[in-house]
Amino acid sequence: MRSWLPVLRERRRYFAIEVEAEGRVKRTDLAAEIRAAQTSLFGDLGAARNRLRVISFDGRFGILRHSHERKEECRALLATVHSVGGVRAAIRVRGVSGTIKAATEKYIPQSTLQPDENVRRVDSGLVSGSVMRVHGREIDLCPDDSKMTEGSGTRYVGLTSFDLCGEDTDADGTSDGL
Amino acid sequence: MKYYECNLHALPDGSDSPSRMALAAKKLGYSGIIISNHSSAGEASGIDAAGLVRGIEVAIGVEIVAADQRALHARAASLRDRADFLAVHGGDERINRAACEDPNVDMLAHPHGGRTGIGVAAAKAAKDNQVAICLDLGSMINLRGGSRVRWMEMVRRDLDLIDKFDLRLMISTSPRSHLDLRSPRDLVALASLLGVERELALEALAFPGSILELNRRRWASVGVEVL
Repeated sequence: MRSWLPVLRERRRYFAIEVEAEGRVKRTDLAAEIRAAQTSLFGDLGAARNRLRVISFDGRFGILRHSHERKEECRALLATVHSVGGVRAAIRVRGVSGTIKAATEKYIPQSTLQPDENVRRVDSGLVSGSVMRVHGREIDLCPDDSKMTEGSGTRYVGLTSFDLCGEDTDADGTSDGL
Repeated sequence: MKYYECNLHALPDGSDSPSRMALAAKKLGYSGIIISNHSSAGEASGIDAAGLVRGIEVAIGVEIVAADQRALHARAASLRDRADFLAVHGGDERINRAACEDPNVDMLAHPHGGRTGIGVAAAKAAKDNQVAICLDLGSMINLRGGSRVRWMEMVRRDLDLIDKFDLRLMISTSPRSHLDLRSPRDLVALASLLGVERELALEALAFPGSILELNRRRWASVGVEVL
């Protein structure tokens, strides 16, 4: 990057976003949709002031850069996006930060294995989360509260089917106790 | 402050069940939602399931759809005792006016859906009858180009009226699915583009809560409460 006088440096903010959609969303489609929404709402002049860019996007979570003076305007224009690439979608701003690093660490879930939609949920008095793997009586659980695994260096909580049997409110209403 | 989404449409009027709406709204930071299906579409099903979602209040209201003034007044009078929140499906000039003249009505929803907004006479009536005006940001989200420009012009004019007559404002997106919902902060940002100040917008988002509280008390007649 070309060096710039520190006093004239333009300050930036980063949105950590989550895209909720009915189908698959591609990065190029998202960028095009945001550009279209921006031009429609603010015109070229406003778009130049916003300096909104897609820094990264993995299909669900992403980082957007914008000018620190135009935070509210950028938030409003992201709210006006109602479909991406022909698929109904909504952009949720999870948080704002001054650096990419902070935005990623604070607002983007770090677990590479997202609990996906088909896995079973467990809500017992002991722990709540999504079942990642079942092997015999052993159960690996991705807890909702990430602090549960703090200090152990693991990502999942290890349980057995005995822990979950005998609870009144069993998992998701099934009676086999997994 | 507790924020409310005051004009939700759930199944069969919208495409989401009440419990799904409640979960989505809770995730976005609302403390409550008011499910007010259009009276022509039928009552929402699965309200009980929505009650199981913890941490969010689910209230039931109605959005009255009426063809003329007389039908509107009759509907409002008959539904008043049954619903916690009465909204009117606005847009038409006569309906907007009639809704503002009816003390039974809590809120005039999307008055800017048609060619004209509320106008001076209706604004005066709304002040007398304590009818809140809903700023429907769903139009701002879904419309593009010329139609949005016309909508914005109309809203700008009516916001001046609202300011002049000191009317109560509510803000909603009239969601029919969880993808139409926007967080309170997004709505504040959108409203500020239209010239609504931050404090006023936050108040508008919290205002449905106090209306619900008032409506849930049992009133024997005007100004007389059953304790």
